[in-house]
Order: sequence, then C-alpha cells, then structure tokens
Amino acid sequence: MVVPSRTARALAQALACLLVLAAFAIAAPGARADEAPSPDTALARLLDEARAGIPGACAAPDADRLVRVLCAGSIRVGVRADYPLFAAGAVRSGYEIDLARAIADRLGVGAELATVKSSNRIALLAEDRIDVAIATMGHTTLRDGQARFVRPHYYRSETVLVGPRELAVTSWADVAGRTVCVTIGNGSNAELSSHGARLMLFESPEQLLDRLRADACSLIAQDDSFFAASFADPAFASLYDRKLGFAPVPWGMAVAQAGGERLARALALTSQIFHRDGVFLDIARANHIATGFFEEQQAIWHRPECDTATGSANPSCVLPPLASDLGPTRVADRVAAAEAWLSQRTGITLSLPMLKTMPAWRMFRTGLINSLVLVAGAIASTLAFALAFGAALGARERFLRLAVRLLTVALQSSPIVLTLVIAAALANAIASYSSPVALAASILALGLTNGSYAGQAISEATLTLRAEAASDPAGGRDLFLRAVRRSATQIMAFVINATKGTPIASFIGAPELLSALTDISSFSSERATTYWILLIFYTAVVILVVWLCTALRSFLERRGVPT
Amino acid sequence: MMSLIDHLSPDFLGRLLAGMALNFAIAGTALALGLALGVPLALARVSGGLAGAASALVVTFLRAAPTFVVMFFLLNVVPREMSLFGTALSLSGTTAVALSLVPYSTAYVADSGAEALRQLRLGSTPAALLFLPNVARAFFVLVMSSSAGAAIGVTEGITVILRQAERLPALGDRLALFAVGILCFGATLQAGFAAVNLLRRHLNRVALRRLTVQPGPYRTESP
Repeated sequence: MVVPSRTARALAQALACLLVLAAFAIAAPGARADEAPSPDTALARLLDEARAGIPGACAAPDADRLVRVLCAGSIRVGVRADYPLFAAGAVRSGYEIDLARAIADRLGVGAELATVKSSNRIALLAEDRIDVAIATMGHTTLRDGQARFVRPHYYRSETVLVGPRELAVTSWADVAGRTVCVTIGNGSNAELSSHGARLMLFESPEQLLDRLRADACSLIAQDDSFFAASFADPAFASLYDRKLGFAPVPWGMAVAQAGGERLARALALTSQIFHRDGVFLDIARANHIATGFFEEQQAIWHRPECDTATGSANPSCVLPPLASDLGPTRVADRVAAAEAWLSQRTGITLSLPMLKTMPAWRMFRTGLINSLVLVAGAIASTLAFALAFGAALGARERFLRLAVRLLTVALQSSPIVLTLVIAAALANAIASYSSPVALAASILALGLTNGSYAGQAISEATLTLRAEAASDPAGGRDLFLRAVRRSATQIMAFVINATKGTPIASFIGAPELLSALTDISSFSSERATTYWILLIFYTAVVILVVWLCTALRSFLERRGVPT
Repeated sequence: MMSLIDHLSPDFLGRLLAGMALNFAIAGTALALGLALGVPLALARVSGGLAGAASALVVTFLRAAPTFVVMFFLLNVVPREMSLFGTALSLSGTTAVALSLVPYSTAYVADSGAEALRQLRLGSTPAALLFLPNVARAFFVLVMSSSAGAAIGVTEGITVILRQAERLPALGDRLALFAVGILCFGATLQAGFAAVNLLRRHLNRVALRRLTVQPGPYRTESP
C-alpha cells in the first residue's frame, strides 16, 4: 500500500475543489434559468395556465382578458384604416395589420380587426369593444394612466414638420407666428404651440395632406411614419421636404387597465421574442418601413440581461414613455367630480380641460386677459383713428384730404384678414415676432379698418354741418366736435364691429382666447364645451359693449349733449 | 415689381381667380340662407306683439355673434356628417364659412326687410325698394368677410395670396403681392358698390315713373 504524500494529498484536495467549482459552474446557468426563464418558456407557461381553466373559466364574469381571448378563439385588434404603410386600404394592409396577425398566430387565436381612430382608440379599450389597440399610438406618461401599454414597443416615430421646398423653415425661430396644420390629440401639439406656432386643427392625417396639396396649409405636422408613403412618391418629394423633427415617441400596443394584466404580459413576452428573432424587422421590411429602430431593438433583445422573462421590466432594455404629464391644477379633482355629477344628474357631458391641467389653465387665463386687452385696445384705437381720419378727411388742405382718402379706400377695400397680415408683416419687420407684437399689430389693424369707416362718417357730418353753417353764421363754431356728435351712431356701430372682429387677431398669432382654446383642444382632444365657452364669451363681450355704448349715449343725452 | 413677377408661380393667377370665385360662392350661399331666415324675421318684426319681440331678441343675438368665432364653433362642435330630413349633409370647411356668415346676413336682411316693409305700409315704394340695393351691398360685404376661411384651410382668394406670399423672400415683394390682393378685392367691392348705386337710381326712376303714370292709393297720404 502506497501512502500518499502530503503534496499528493494537497493536489487531490485542490482537484476536488476544482471539480466542485466546475460542477457549480455547470449548474449555474440552470439555476439562472430557474430564476428567470426565457421569454419563450414564460409565454408558453402563461398560455398553458390560462388555457387550463378553459372552458370552465369562460363563463366566469371576472375572467380576465387573456382567458376571454382564448375562449373566443380570436383577439379583437383595434387598427387604423387611414395610415399608409401601417394600416390602410379597403383590403387592410400594412405593418400594423401584419403585426396584429402575427401576434394572433403566436397566441394561437384568430385576429378580428376593428377600425379605430386616434380620438376613440383608448375609449374603445375601456368599453371592452376591442382587446388590444395596435393603432399608431404613442406611449406617453399621460396615456399611461388611461391604458396599459405593452413593452417593448413595436415602433418609434418622431413628429416632423413638412412643407413646400421653397419655404425657408430651418429652426423653431422660423416656426413662430406661422400656421401649422395638425391633427387633434397629437401629443406633440403642445410643443409646437410652446414655440409660437398657430395651430389649425384637423381630424385626420389625410386631411393634412389634402390641405398641403391645396396650398391651404403651408406647414403640416405629423409622425414621420405617416409621411413615409408620401415621400416614396417622387412627385411629392420633389415639391415638399421635411423641415424639422421633434418629440420622438415610442409606439405601444395597449390593452385595457381593467382585467388586462395577463394579456399585456403575453403581448410583452411575444414582443420580446419578435424583436429578438427579427419578426418585427421582417414585417417592417415587407412593408417598406425604415428599419433602423428594429435593428437597434434586435441587438438589445439579444443581450442576456434582456432576453429573459423579466426583460420587459428592465429599464436598460425598454424605452421610457414620452414625458407628457401636464400637471393637474389644485381644483382638478373637484372639476372632475362636478363634471361627473352633472353627467349623472342631467346627462349633459361637460368637459373643462382648461381647469384640469396647469398648462391649459395658464393658457386659458392668459387668453382671457389678452382678449380683454385686445377688446379695450381695439375700441380705443378705433376711436382714435376715427377722430384722426375724420379730422383729416374734413380738413381744408386738399393734399391731406386726398392722401387720407386714398388710404381710406385701400383700408376699406382690404379684407380684414389681409389687413391683419400686412400689419403683422410690418410689425415683424420692425420687431421680432412675439405675443405683444402680435397683439399690438392686431389692435392697430382693427383700429385702422374700423376707424377709417367711422372717420368717413365724421367727415361726411362735417360737410353737412359746413353746408348748414353757410346759411347760419353761428353754425361754424365747434364744427369738428359737432360732427363727432352727429356721427355718434356710426362711430358706435364701428366700435361694436371692432369688438366683434377681435377674435380674428388669432389669425396672426395674437394669444387671445380663441387661440388659447384652440391650443388646449389640440392636446386635450375636447372641443364641444371649449368652443361653447368661446362663443358665449365673445357674444357676451359684444353684448356688453353694445350695452355700454347705449348707456353712454343715454348719459350724454341726459347731460344735454346732443348725439 | 419685376422681382415679384419672377417669383410668382405660373398658375398663381388661375388659382387666385378660382379662389375669388369661391369667395363669391360662399357669399351667395350665406346671402341665400340669410334671405330665407331674415325675411320671416322681418315679417314677424313688423307684425309687432310677441312675435315682434321674439324676432327682435333673435336678431339682437344674431347681430352680436362674432363671425370668426361662429366659424370655429361650427367646425368644432357640429358633427361633420349629419342627416337633415333624411338627406345626408357634410360640413366642409367651405360650408362652415358660409354658415358662419348666416347670422350676419340674417340680421341684416331682417333689419333692412323690416324697414322696407314699414316704408311699404307708409306708401313709399322707392324707399321700400332700397331693400334690393341694401341686399346687394350686403353681398359684397359677405364676399370680403368670406376671406375668414383662410383661418380654417379653405382655399379662397386670400389663402392663395397668403400662401404665395410665404414663398417670397423679400418683404417688399410680399407687400407688393398684398397690394395686388387689395386691388383685386377692392376693384370687386368698388365695382359692386357702383352697381348697387346704379341699381338704386334705376329703381328710384322706375318708382317715380309708376307713381306719375298710375297714382296709387297712398299718393294722397302723407309720407
């Protein structure tokens, strides 16, 4: 028998340690897999669990959405019908259509496609009329509270401004004061508005293209994905180009908040697999969509820390939603409660977005104040220009009379919209565009137009008084003052006209109430109550001005001043 | 001026004329609807009593409604697709502009119509006939007001001018183009008013001739 030496024993112990370590090393991956299985395993397990209860669970009133999809044998997918390359055409085709079908296949059910719009896709989820929305929906922090978004995202877009090639727009400074045509509810509208753009609202992206081609809109804003098909057309690309890109936003599938947890989980795992295996990439290629995002995502989902069942919860693997929280006002809850109370008691749907979020409230308050400033300014400038035109047109100097007469004819021959644009162009040539400049230009234009008419009335009264003075030697005294009194009715009519015209100032970017409420509507998607408030406000202001004019006239008559 | 001509699109004139034709079409529609609504209001006004008071109240509100706000209200609150007596109607931007002018045209027709009816009762046919030139004047005011359509993407005359102006690099060229716009609309307006005056004079002559040839029952009454 050979007794092992100390060295040999030490070697044997070291070898044993190595073998144990090797055994641990071999066993370790298996242990990791037990803790976080692959997304494929997790998805199979989730579907097996859901199917296990079928058909018994199908009749349960509290069955979750995944069980109901499996019971029905089909998934109801909300898709767009008007989004070229993504979801369009009488025979539905596009990236999102193919995606919906691929997901249904993976879940082992059929795909039942339902048309949704940007304005109703979240509501249809909440009303249980669709199971999932795959409908060009950007994932924002604001929408996170309205629907359950699936991550990883299946696409990422950014908003781009598109306009005629000859239009020089290269920075935000060039956008300020310009009209940009947008779709209601687009998350990037608030950013456009914050850069001084005037928003013109439309229902659908197709309307934007129509208006661009008809030259009714010089700039349109929409997701870059929407323009992909248009820029593929050489005729379109030769006329229009992309001016600016901003607000990148990931697109997510979304399911309902209530009962949608397991369906969202199944879709998240499916999306992980689709990114990793290049399914999204292949579908994008087949639909001629730019593949940069998909290639980037495929690399991410191949990474070991992402390619696990918990990868979709790993912040280093998924994209964050676009931060669009608007911050509630202090009375937001009470306003919401009042809206609900009114709806329950009377059936009237009242929505007051301008009182619920801080940016909307600030816009509303500023718009209200600016409107009142504008009305006061328009009245004052109308009166001032009326006196100036009246004095000049009734002057004895022929040259002065002729010059002012020509100006009056020009002002009266110009539609008020054009007069406002000319005033804004001249004002912007002197000072760079800003809200006060736009307000001042509007006050000037409204005063000039209405003052020219009122001034003409004063000058005509001056002429009649001069004729009367010829037969009455005392009649020539205080001629101008008496002419003003004689034409008081006309002056008041044009003061009222100026008040009625103040909302037109929004056309050149004056930040009055119409402009503010249009901006609020563009991101809140609420319009009915908003425009009722606008109509009531301006009608009330006009009625108030009429009443004040009448009261002033009565007061002067009582004081013995003939009008 | 040569610089401006160089920069203008070749089809600018054609598009401007087409745009102005749309201004006329909008004004015509607004006036037709204004007549349809305003004449009954005028009849109610002169009939007095409760109907007269109700008519006056309605006209007060119609007069106070700002056209521009009404246009945005119609566009954003009224459904785009609707049915009236079984007929499907679609609210386009052009229709919204025309309808937004209806409160003004209705109030104007109601006021002028009521005055004409009063003059007729007093036996002053020439004064009553002033209703026609007044309506014609309203038409030209409506043509000018229809330019508000530029704010909602309707391709009327002013929209064509503004889009062209955006593509002109120099302020001087833009102002020259605006002057062309004023000339186009101004010439239309002034020609319209001249025609209105001719019509008024003609109606006066006709009325006087009738009164001379065929003395009516009111001839002996005081005016």
